[in-house]
Amino acid sequence: MLNYVWISLVVIGILVAAGTDFNADVKNRYRNDMIMEGVVSISKSPTTARATYEGTLVIDRSAFNALYGVQTSGEEIRLPVVIQSDLEIPRMTFSSTAEMPAIWKEFAKYASTKDKLTATVQSLVASEDGRTAKVRFVREPIRFVKFKAVTQAALDYAAIAVNIAIGLIGIMALWLGVMKVAEAAGLIRSLTRLLTPLTKRLFPDVPPDHPAVGAMIMNIAANMLGLSNAATPLGLKAMEELNKLNPKLGTATNAMCTFLVINTAGLVLLPATAIAVRAAAGSSNPGIIIGTSIFGASCATIAGLIAVKLLEKLKYYKKDLIIESGPEGGTKS
Amino acid sequence: MSELFRAMVNVVSIVAIPLMLLVFLGWGIVKRVKVYEVFVEGAKDGFNVAIRIIPYLVAMLVAIGIFRASGAMDVFVLLLSPITNLIGMPAETLPMALMRPLSGSGSLGIMTELMSVHGPDSFIGVLASTMYGSTETTFYVLAVYFGAVNVKNTRHALPAGLVADVFGMLGAVLICRILFGI
Repeated sequence: MLNYVWISLVVIGILVAAGTDFNADVKNRYRNDMIMEGVVSISKSPTTARATYEGTLVIDRSAFNALYGVQTSGEEIRLPVVIQSDLEIPRMTFSSTAEMPAIWKEFAKYASTKDKLTATVQSLVASEDGRTAKVRFVREPIRFVKFKAVTQAALDYAAIAVNIAIGLIGIMALWLGVMKVAEAAGLIRSLTRLLTPLTKRLFPDVPPDHPAVGAMIMNIAANMLGLSNAATPLGLKAMEELNKLNPKLGTATNAMCTFLVINTAGLVLLPATAIAVRAAAGSSNPGIIIGTSIFGASCATIAGLIAVKLLEKLKYYKKDLIIESGPEGGTKS
Repeated sequence: MSELFRAMVNVVSIVAIPLMLLVFLGWGIVKRVKVYEVFVEGAKDGFNVAIRIIPYLVAMLVAIGIFRASGAMDVFVLLLSPITNLIGMPAETLPMALMRPLSGSGSLGIMTELMSVHGPDSFIGVLASTMYGSTETTFYVLAVYFGAVNVKNTRHALPAGLVADVFGMLGAVLICRILFGI
């Protein structure tokens, strides 16, 4: 199933991006090639040394709203601009600033130079005193916004994945070291014995005194306390121990799937992140969701466990466990 | 009641890690384990496990990243909203329910935005934060945990995990409607 879900995420993503970009282009949703007007109050006029005007462009807000069909509020739009006048067609550059309307800021992200929008100046008529000038301009066309976003996301997330993994090295080492000591001291075994009645039912394929059981219990306990820094290393340790019992490497065992579902259901006694966000948003009772979250996560855990136990009986999933006999043995996946 | 519980769990989660270190390593000394040597021996594996995860995590996060950036979520919201309307789940919280299994940071962003728009104590605000606490980031957990042991055929783990997510979200809607219902 993972194969299909994975490819669906990629294919649906790219198709939706293509569809959105095509639609935007056909309907000219980004209002490319439209002439806009504004008045520049010039702060620096061109000199012999440089051929640029600098100043503030003032655009009528209602005209802007009408053009893009948006509802931005406020007085006129004021944007710092630089006009390069020595080109055959003078060019005006806007930098992405706080005053820039949201829709243009979005455009700037996908412009030819990142965070800078440019426009070609059709006409520039300076006033008598040279302080202001009327400009008519056409903003650079914006195209393939979603395609560019998808490309950026693919590259960004590849880097994020590596960062997450690298960030795990330290805490991983810490907890694997601690667990090794606890194992050598026989502490894990005593802990395991305590919960045998429960773990025997959940993981019938795992010997009740196996180190995997101890690691799983510690992982679940750490998860419930919201200690994600400890829970992940302990969970990975548990997976390694479970893998020692795996007759067919590369394929998940029933115990692994059961353990994973307990983890993805994520039963937490204190949903600290959600409470913190509620408090930051000014809630009068940020902790009100503790009980409801425990209820929701319990539903998830119970439903997940039922599903995992039913699904493992299906022939479709059972056949993956069969070790193909042959010269290569059972290591093929 | 909930205040007391919250305070208690808070204290436990603060002292848990120092206490665990103390008890585990201290017990090791009592049992005459060469704690330092054994610790280092165990810790050695940390690097390998973390590095082993990388290909799995890259595959998963890139796919999720593409899906999120494309705006495909809006299409799914449109398709699913007739069903969720039937069970009394506000349409605003549907992106939250869909994003939760896919991305932790993504769903955190949606939750924060829903609260700033509707208020943290509104029905939508309470439901969104309950949803956030009702399940984990299934796809991420799947990639990391199975990646650590080089398991590529995850069999029924994903369908079962998604069943858990669906029921977590339904449970959140149910309990919020009963307690804070509209």
